[in-house]
Amino acid sequence: MKFVGVDIGGTFTDLVVSDAGKLQIHKLLSTPHNPAEAMLAGLAAVGVTENARISHGSTVATNAILERKGARTALITTQGFRDVLEIGRQNRPVLYALYPQIPPPLIPRKWRYEVPERLDYTGKVLTPLNMKALDKVLDALVEQKIESVAVCFLYSFHNPAHEQKVRQRIVERGILQEWQVSLSYEVLPEFREYERTSTAAVDAYVRPVISRYLQHLEDNLPPQSTLLVMKSDGGVVSSNTARQQAAQTVLSGPAAGVIGAFHVASLAGYDHIITLDMGGTSTDVALCPGTPTRRAETEIDGLPLRIRLLDIETVGAGGGSIARLDAGGALRIGPESAGASPGPVIYGRGGQQMTVSDANAILGRLDAEHFLGGQMPLELSIAESMMGTLAKQMKLSREEAALGIIEIANVNIDRAVRRVSIARGHDPRDFTLMAFGGAGPLHACEIADRLQIPRVLVPRYPGVLCALGLLVADVIRDYGRAVLKPVTDETAQQMKAILGELIRQAQTDLAKEGIPEEAMFFKGRLDMRYQGQSYELTLPMNGNIVRDFHHTHAEIYGHAMPDRVVEIVNLRLQAIGTVEKPTFTPEEVIANDGSSAKIGEKVVYFREGEKSIPLFDRDKLTPGAAFIGPALIFQLDSTTFLPPYWHVRVDSYRNLILESQP
Amino acid sequence: MKSSKVDAISLEVFKNLFASVAEEMGVALRRASFSPNIKERLDFSCAVFDSTGRMVAQAAHIPVHLGSMPASVAAALSHFKTLNKGDVVILNDPYRGGTHLPDITMVSPVFSGKKLVFFVASRAHHADVGGMTPGSLPLSTELYQEGIIIPPVKLIEEGNVDKGVMALIAANSRTPDERWGDLDAQLAAHRIGEKRLLAMLEAHGLNRVQDHASALQDYSRRLTEAVISTIPDGVYEFEDALEGDGQQEYLIPIKVTLTVHDSTLTLDFTGSAPQVAGNLNAVEAIVKSAAFYCVRLLAEDDVPVNHGCFLPVIVITPPHSLLNPDFPAGVAVGNTETSQRIVDVILGAFAKALPHRIPAASQGSMNNFTFGGIQNGQPFVYYETIGGGHGGNPQGNGLSARHSHMTNTLNTPIEAVEFALPVRILEYSIREKSGGKGKHRGGDGIRRVYEFLSSATVTFNTERRRLVPYGLQGGKPGRPGKNAVVREDKTEEIVSAKHTTQVNAGDKIIIETPGGGGWGK
Repeated sequence: MKFVGVDIGGTFTDLVVSDAGKLQIHKLLSTPHNPAEAMLAGLAAVGVTENARISHGSTVATNAILERKGARTALITTQGFRDVLEIGRQNRPVLYALYPQIPPPLIPRKWRYEVPERLDYTGKVLTPLNMKALDKVLDALVEQKIESVAVCFLYSFHNPAHEQKVRQRIVERGILQEWQVSLSYEVLPEFREYERTSTAAVDAYVRPVISRYLQHLEDNLPPQSTLLVMKSDGGVVSSNTARQQAAQTVLSGPAAGVIGAFHVASLAGYDHIITLDMGGTSTDVALCPGTPTRRAETEIDGLPLRIRLLDIETVGAGGGSIARLDAGGALRIGPESAGASPGPVIYGRGGQQMTVSDANAILGRLDAEHFLGGQMPLELSIAESMMGTLAKQMKLSREEAALGIIEIANVNIDRAVRRVSIARGHDPRDFTLMAFGGAGPLHACEIADRLQIPRVLVPRYPGVLCALGLLVADVIRDYGRAVLKPVTDETAQQMKAILGELIRQAQTDLAKEGIPEEAMFFKGRLDMRYQGQSYELTLPMNGNIVRDFHHTHAEIYGHAMPDRVVEIVNLRLQAIGTVEKPTFTPEEVIANDGSSAKIGEKVVYFREGEKSIPLFDRDKLTPGAAFIGPALIFQLDSTTFLPPYWHVRVDSYRNLILESQP
Repeated sequence: MKSSKVDAISLEVFKNLFASVAEEMGVALRRASFSPNIKERLDFSCAVFDSTGRMVAQAAHIPVHLGSMPASVAAALSHFKTLNKGDVVILNDPYRGGTHLPDITMVSPVFSGKKLVFFVASRAHHADVGGMTPGSLPLSTELYQEGIIIPPVKLIEEGNVDKGVMALIAANSRTPDERWGDLDAQLAAHRIGEKRLLAMLEAHGLNRVQDHASALQDYSRRLTEAVISTIPDGVYEFEDALEGDGQQEYLIPIKVTLTVHDSTLTLDFTGSAPQVAGNLNAVEAIVKSAAFYCVRLLAEDDVPVNHGCFLPVIVITPPHSLLNPDFPAGVAVGNTETSQRIVDVILGAFAKALPHRIPAASQGSMNNFTFGGIQNGQPFVYYETIGGGHGGNPQGNGLSARHSHMTNTLNTPIEAVEFALPVRILEYSIREKSGGKGKHRGGDGIRRVYEFLSSATVTFNTERRRLVPYGLQGGKPGRPGKNAVVREDKTEEIVSAKHTTQVNAGDKIIIETPGGGGWGK
């Protein structure tokens, strides 16, 4: 069987094929009008004609939300509360805005319906669901040609009976099929009505879009092939499951990169990594302390989405980020970006503002002959004169200004790295920085220096880590149960019982995904807090949970409150079905100085002055090559900058291992 | 070593570094706290000050904290001749560095070796600090009725927590357990702030860090001056009023005369009402916050909030007035209601200078609603503020059902309110057509209906129940709000903007918040 990872991005569609241990890479232009087209063309191009497992990540769901091109979706909710979705948390997104704006809700008021029903906060029925009123609402759904429905009643996470009845009635009357109805207690069995309603609305809004898209793919797959879909938490599921958990796929794009990065780094012997995925408009960073970390909430276009997702911080600093001097005389970078068009000034496509890439080019860190394999000429002279103008305003030299642009971009990224590491109680000095994306390897060492990170790893193929991540991702299913009980002597027994139930459910589900029993793994976790707090700490479900909680609270916040009651908010189960992964064979390491890969010299500007430094061709560097910076290492989709006092070696998988020399 | 030179680049670098210190303090405070006010509504701010007590960076969720935190640090500094390593000063006295009593502020020094080099400060709105009615926003006539008054005292002295002070504060609250937890959470924020600043000093050296702290203040001053220079020179006046001080319903005028000269802006509030008998007085720090907020709104760039921002803005408040009261005048809602009206008059005056930039009036109230009582021997207290309509603006309609201007606190989820309190929310909806008509409509207000499951004392501190939010450039005003009590006999009694009453189980409260004014014909 062939394994294929397909990452459909905005500009390129990348395929990585693994066939009996051999890796094949293919890149082609995306087809945004119908993303499946590029994927199917790519499969044909790499000769995948039958018997393949195709793992796939796409931005179809994300784009449906950003462009408001999802289904005609209705909301059915408790009487009195149809505006919860629009009021949100009643705050404005920006504190100081003369004309504050909020993206419109996914479901307009006219399609938000109320029915009489009410539970109390324990889930007890105060007002039974009014079936007559419900039927009237369902008539309206037909009349309005509604394609999908989100149902969210107050306290449904304690008692889902009313939500279930609504779906049952919709199906019974033949108005929609079961998968077209998102019940909030299934999508997010947790308190906070706005976040739950919003998550259910996102789910319902993208379900028909995803479903149509996946159907189209499946209809065109090579024979005897299966389709897996990436979720935001870095796991894959069958396309059938993805249809029913549409919200889970919304932010899957950056997740695949983290999974790919972690796989490559672990193979090389580094499992404590911080990923640095720097592209044209933004940079994604994520912390993997032995495993990728997840969190439980995010936002998309101002809409809260509470799903399990990889803990990725995005910052608006990429190669195309624009530099400008503000009215107070400080140099700012981004978040505005020159994008792919017109792009940086050096692209010569009419860009009029200095960008991070321009700064790199002026300093000599990019090279016309080797940028994108020499296919893209660099217009250095215009960039130089524009940088000169900007530098004059700052009373700096052109090169100082360029160095400054890079420093500020790095500071912005540094702040994101701090958010995922220091702010979560991890010391970045214990990690390896895994650099990828077009610009990551160019900036990685200097960012590492800022944070005293001792090591940078640049993978063999930094441009296709997302596709690779798809190839190696395991099947992951998450389960949760609201508990909301103080810890007592009986707790351990009760939790064990719930965990057992969830595991049985998970075993059934994983079996349906084709996972054999010996490949199933389960991790139970508890969300805990002091009674009266609103935010939980998540702890593994073993050992003395109360003692561990006090300990963790003290570690994170500096104090524990041993006299306070500790309560369990949720029990969570993560079920993992490991999939067969392509094997990567290490090559023999033969020590050499890399000189056979040397392709010339070039003048590069440093803070201390200009210096001629050697250039290397990445493709010619063999395992065992090692030398000291400064140097530039070129490859088709990326350039690695090795500053002075940094040392590089090529490992047996042809990764670059860069280490700072004290 | 690294040079201490300040340039366009290092300025931006240090702006980020200082901002992240304040930001991380806020994260710690939120996550460890107990009051819904803090953890759900984000009614708190954290800041870094230089060794002379000038603000360097602030992570504020609430504009009303903008200009008022520096007063806290100044009060701590003037009260204690020396502060030592490991000290934490706590205070809430509005006449000595506070704003209103529920806002408890902590200030602590950060030492580099033996030298005091920075301060960190945090302010959080605690749900109850005693006083006449639960929630500590009573219809009072003097400060003593509003809760425990904490002058600057050392909560921690050289690392030793004064449990006595903690216990005294907690004992004066209707929810003492919650106070302990929230005070601990504030202390956690201070530990994080200190740790981050020390790491910064280690990485960059004291001189360089301090040079940039003062360079950042200059930078913010320049940005603020640049904003003011965009306003045509001249003198602009505007007047509006509050509806009553909780003791009596009468018009309480607020008047501003705004003078723009080059890059300096003077706001003279002479002509505003004298000090009032009730709880609406606002200490000068609040007036400054409102003034700076309005200037900040006009800035197109992101201006880091620090000492420099305040320099080009001169605020004049007449002594013994509503906006500069004498101790012990009541101030409970000067912070919330009076501050909103100050913004309305400043923006109204700006509209005369910049008719094509300034939006119509937003709802002009925070719609404070507090209640509390005792159920099954357990005390309960609750405070919330409710969003409303924003004014229409030159570019579009005003937002509906959102907080405006001097506050931006989140709502507490219904599923959290009902879990913690003997109350049931029956309706939470957008009040259609309450926004003023115009080329660009004012946003709509909110309608919220509560049913009580236990007897309780409820208190409204609201505004714009009679006087409407103004429209501009031909736009119509927004509709005023409404407070009502529905007793067991089902009669709906409309009560005044500021009101306290007892309710029984089964009684209902209806609050409708104002719509925003319309903009343009």
